[in-house]
Amino acid sequence: MADFKQQIPDQPIRPAREDDFELLQMGVDLKDAKFDTPPIGFFKDAMLRLARNKAAVAALVLILLISFMAIFGPMMTPYTFDQQFVDYLNMPPKIPFLASLGIADGSRVLTNRRVDGLNDTEKYPEGCILEITNEHEVNGVMMADVKVDYYAYTGCEETFWFGSDYLGRDLWARLWRGARVSLFIAIVSVVTNMIIGVVYGSIAGYYGGKVDMVLMRICEIIQSFPRVVVVTLFIMFFGTGIFSIVMSLLISGWIQTARLVRAQFYRFKGREYVLAARTMGVPDRSIIFRHILPNSLGPIITTMMMAVPQAIFTESFLAYIGLGLQAPEPSIGVLLSEGQKVLLNFPYQSLFPGIVISLLMISFNLFGNGLRDAMDPTLRGV
Amino acid sequence: MIKYIAQRVLALLITLFIILTIAFLVIRLMPGSIYDSNEMLSADMVKILEDKYHLNDPLLVQYRYFLEDILLHWDWGTSVAVQPRVPVWEVLASKIPITLQLNFVSLLISLPIGILAGIFAAIYQNTKVDYTISFFVVVFISVPSFIFATVLQYFLAYKLGWFPIIYNATATGAAKYLSMILPITALSFSPIARVTRYLRGELIENLSSEYMLLARTKGLTRLQATVRHSMRNSFVPLANIIIPMFTNILTGSLVVEQIFSVAGVGGLLVESINSSDHTLTIAILIFYSMISLLTILIVDLSYGIIDPRVRIGGGSNG
Amino acid sequence: MSEKILQVKDLTVSFSSYAGQVHAVRDISFDLCRGETLAIVGESGSGKSVTTKAILGILPGNGTIEGGEILYNGMDLAKCSDKEFESVRGKKISLVFQDPLSALNPIMKIGKQIMEALVLSKAATKGEAKERALELMRRVGIPQPEIRFNQYPFQFSGGMRQRIVIAIALACNPEILICDEPTTALDVTIQAQILELINEIKERNNLSIIFITHDLGVVANVADRVAVMYAGKIVEFGRSEEIFYDPKNPYTWALLSSMPDLDTKEQLFSIPGTPPNMLHPPAGDAFHERNQYALKIDTREAPPFFKVSDTHYAATWLLDPRAPKVEPPRVLRERIERMKRRAAEHAGQ
Repeated sequence: MADFKQQIPDQPIRPAREDDFELLQMGVDLKDAKFDTPPIGFFKDAMLRLARNKAAVAALVLILLISFMAIFGPMMTPYTFDQQFVDYLNMPPKIPFLASLGIADGSRVLTNRRVDGLNDTEKYPEGCILEITNEHEVNGVMMADVKVDYYAYTGCEETFWFGSDYLGRDLWARLWRGARVSLFIAIVSVVTNMIIGVVYGSIAGYYGGKVDMVLMRICEIIQSFPRVVVVTLFIMFFGTGIFSIVMSLLISGWIQTARLVRAQFYRFKGREYVLAARTMGVPDRSIIFRHILPNSLGPIITTMMMAVPQAIFTESFLAYIGLGLQAPEPSIGVLLSEGQKVLLNFPYQSLFPGIVISLLMISFNLFGNGLRDAMDPTLRGV
Repeated sequence: MIKYIAQRVLALLITLFIILTIAFLVIRLMPGSIYDSNEMLSADMVKILEDKYHLNDPLLVQYRYFLEDILLHWDWGTSVAVQPRVPVWEVLASKIPITLQLNFVSLLISLPIGILAGIFAAIYQNTKVDYTISFFVVVFISVPSFIFATVLQYFLAYKLGWFPIIYNATATGAAKYLSMILPITALSFSPIARVTRYLRGELIENLSSEYMLLARTKGLTRLQATVRHSMRNSFVPLANIIIPMFTNILTGSLVVEQIFSVAGVGGLLVESINSSDHTLTIAILIFYSMISLLTILIVDLSYGIIDPRVRIGGGSNG
Repeated sequence: MSEKILQVKDLTVSFSSYAGQVHAVRDISFDLCRGETLAIVGESGSGKSVTTKAILGILPGNGTIEGGEILYNGMDLAKCSDKEFESVRGKKISLVFQDPLSALNPIMKIGKQIMEALVLSKAATKGEAKERALELMRRVGIPQPEIRFNQYPFQFSGGMRQRIVIAIALACNPEILICDEPTTALDVTIQAQILELINEIKERNNLSIIFITHDLGVVANVADRVAVMYAGKIVEFGRSEEIFYDPKNPYTWALLSSMPDLDTKEQLFSIPGTPPNMLHPPAGDAFHERNQYALKIDTREAPPFFKVSDTHYAATWLLDPRAPKVEPPRVLRERIERMKRRAAEHAGQ
């Protein structure tokens, strides 16, 4: 006990003030401390947390930017997505104010040209030759690679910011129109999936028992079909087009939401407040919508965010295997698969849609991750 | 355990049966006959084929023949466009080995790389190592494999010339393997990232688990406790993600094969769709279903072997 | 009093969190004698679990021992390296967990989990370890140990699992057993069995036990001495009877009054307010805001320990000669009377 004795003061503590030994709150009714900060709702709290997540905020900005371009981008050029300039096929990109930096200056390298023909202004209009490299001799003839201003070379008066494709269509207009179509497909299918999933999951979760078992068996069976197979069969049968691509995404896309909502129901329907509502005769419908679903909103939104890139991917995939949209309608997938065919000669045709799809997918995943972290109640208060 | 296996096998058979039925309905109910729209076949030939596959009988009878042909005689129909008059199964069978090689090799190299990266990320949680790995995980999971394929093909093969631009089917030995590297790499990014993300999450959870603490307090060193308790336990649920991962690789491979001109099932699918060789398309789709169902079965069974709670049955409250 | 086996002196532990330093344990001292059971009692968050984690060197990554000593067998555990700790942890000092459900590895056979430490530290061959494991299982009351040896945790009930956790803790014959709320997660009927088992093992192995709990009812059954903790400090310390029959600290009064029993007819007493925020522990006596008997000085100056008897000390200004004489609350006085009467009857029989 030595340790305790050490702490015992030899003499009374310094000369206490007069009233030091007065009982302070005898007889006072002690209450729990009041919270002096205003209460923060769950969603407000989640949003505050989300705003602190830099990656998620950056992702959101990118998503908004790409969506903005998808809506207004096509209007920024005088060309429409299906307008063909048959004389100006596969034009390189030319962006006026970037041209001085040497990127997107509308130039192209023509390989193995006869050096003696370079002065022919019929073939090479004045001022179009920018650089001659790699001069070499083939069978006694001097050959060279010539970097030309392709717009001057072809006498093209138009300016295709992102170049033109194999039919002479403006790729800027097509890219943003394509992004619009891809986003449209993704959003429509994801929202529809969410609605189906919520309704299905609610029914399974709320009624439980046999109903639940049957509904969940159906889910299991649908889910064990390989997604690609089902989607491909569906498109083969109904033909290509935005509608059937959206429909094909609805076959199995809702199952995840349904499972999630069902699980939430199982979690909450035993809770006292739901039981209380039930005993007071609140109808099923309002128990579902007022008491249970609001609790599942966070995970549902997160799932939706994560489903968007999946839908965009499926659309591109279909385009690649030849089940994309009907020409001339573009989508990011269609552009990618068209670009792929001429990748080695005109890489810029793959570059822009490739960048857009990658950024979209990364952004939606990052934003979804951020949302999940922000809404996960287990992390609350950390 | 036997009951568990039986259940799994039964589920697989039911699913396969449903897919066969849907495939049958799609192909039979599509507008027009399968064969008559094709100019490569003579009228006689069409007649012969239609008779052979009983296309003029009532639907139910056709369905019986369809199942019998496939299940009993292994007769998947006849190709009409891609390789006219050759049995579909023969066309398909010649393409299967290379596709499976690509897919399985990609799966096999993804696992160890992903596991290692996951372990590093978890042990160095919330450090620069972790942040770097997590950044790549997001990129690799998000960007589709065909974008990676395009980038690799353009830069590594075309610009730098390190690898052949397309798959070299005629070469043997080293040249052949060299031409397989890019498609396999393109296919592996996403599964690597998936394994990493999953293992990191599992391991972090296990590292902070009570039984990890018990292992430390009963006298195990940090290393012993981590390896014997956290890691071992993290590997078990890994089986869960192998299924979606493998179907993911399979899907990606359909496109990636085409990009690298691999004469595999993926290229064949695109070719058959573009030339309206429906019998062949359906056969390929069924083949894909079988592969993925088989993977599901194998994973389910191995899960049963690894996890005592599944093997012995009962307890869900482990 | 016999030999001191473990001495904790002025131990201070804090955690770094997003909001700042959390002072979980503030300057506490106690010692454990060979063969005794010391109970540390307190609300959740009072720092009792953190103390045991510090003794075992398993503080989470963001926790540090800021000062003080933990003397065991000539070693200062507060300054031990991880390597040195390996000779102590499990071998000399063992821990029994609160939740046997999550403390056992779900995919490892029970037998292996008991043997593991023995085999890995090369204290025994596989065969010997198995013998020992079976022996331990028998001793903690597992029927059919040979069959149970090869089973997995999910095949055991909660009480059985806690018995296994105790067997694991005993595997290397430790001198000190720390029981961190070992009965909290169990049914009441099982609780009594486990307490009995712990008492029995203590007698047989001549163990010294530190028993952490928030449940004073449990303490009465097991403890020789009791330390009451509040807000990271020990506020009262004494032999079991002294704490139960003659408590001096208002916090101990509050704890004892809030203990449910069969005889109290009125509404159960509950301590008003919430435990203090350990990010910024209040000045003076940490309990004063919730204390009916708070003195003015409590808001300024933390009370030192006042001696009640040779073995009983309490940190409260009420014991200062200048303080007004106050009686414990009436409910508690009645309760103590009842307890004394019952103990006497018990002894009489």
